Amino acid sequence: MNPAEELKQALPGSVMSTGMQVDKPLAVIKKEELLAAAAKVKEMGFDHLSVITGIDYTDRFEVIYNLFSYKKKENLVLKVILDHNNPEVDSLTSLWKGANWLERETYDLVGIKFAGHPNLVRILLPEGWNGHPLRKDYDMDTEQFVTIGEDGEDIVSTDGSNLLRRK
Amino acid sequence: MDPVTIDTTKISTIKKKPQTALEKLEDTGLIHTVLSAKDRKGLILLTTVDQIFNWARLSSLWPVTSGLACCAIEMMGVAMAHHDIARFGMEIFRASPRQADLMFVAGTVTKRMAPRVKQLYEMMPEPKWVISVGSCSNTGGPYHESYSVLKGVDLIIPVDVYIPGCPPRPEAWLYGVIQLREKIKNEGYGAKWGINK
Repeated sequence: MNPAEELKQALPGSVMSTGMQVDKPLAVIKKEELLAAAAKVKEMGFDHLSVITGIDYTDRFEVIYNLFSYKKKENLVLKVILDHNNPEVDSLTSLWKGANWLERETYDLVGIKFAGHPNLVRILLPEGWNGHPLRKDYDMDTEQFVTIGEDGEDIVSTDGSNLLRRK
Repeated sequence: MDPVTIDTTKISTIKKKPQTALEKLEDTGLIHTVLSAKDRKGLILLTTVDQIFNWARLSSLWPVTSGLACCAIEMMGVAMAHHDIARFGMEIFRASPRQADLMFVAGTVTKRMAPRVKQLYEMMPEPKWVISVGSCSNTGGPYHESYSVLKGVDLIIPVDVYIPGCPPRPEAWLYGVIQLREKIKNEGYGAKWGINK
């Protein structure tokens, strides 16, 4: 039995469906039950959260957690489907420490909020950047520029006259 | 079989090594007119001072140690023994922009890195030159349609030579260096300040 089926037998109420994500077992979890399901998954031996991905499907958001077990050498993919207007899901930093930066990256680029995250600020783009660039409705027409302030902090503006040689 | 014997007295194609200061100056090919004043035991140079300055500048360009992305890996290849940028007198990659007069913009200039690159350029003393290496720093390259990459480093600093490639091979890199040397050779004194030319 693959770990996704195993998870469904253990928690039938929180797993919506199971299947395969390419060649990895996939379990779609209810977003309210994610923290409980993830705790069960960690008990099953999945000790490494390798990557978190957020995808914008214009009518919904999906957050995908790729997990790996160093003991059993197995993969497992968890997926939650979020509302497009208010994408918010529980943070997994209490279970896997590595989730901290991965969730910050997903917040930075896709704009998904992780409830209970200790430090949910942008990780790649500077503070003050307008919009989340991997969303489908991101405005690519207005260019944003970064300049350095007095104390070495990044200042974001659409006016590049301090930086550019000519307009 | 008899060993081939070479009559060394008949070989005249070997160029004589310049001995005196006058011959050395003429050997550079940059000095048009050099007169020697016998009674003064010195030399009189009847030429523009540009050419001596340019010859000195192009013969020891010191690049600043800065790499932005994968082109910087190629920069290491150019500097190592196989391609050997020391042939052009540029083996000293200075760790401080204050001591450098050439900047290789080697790699992707992201929006966040752009003000730092500009600051690095402004910290270099005059005269200074910039070589933009690779598609990313020339035009943005594969990231042209990106939200986070500057569409060419020439938007923020003046560029003398562009080297295309992704990344360019060391041979292309050295060709770009030779092009810059040609450019410096033809510069007028004060060209950077807009006095000549």
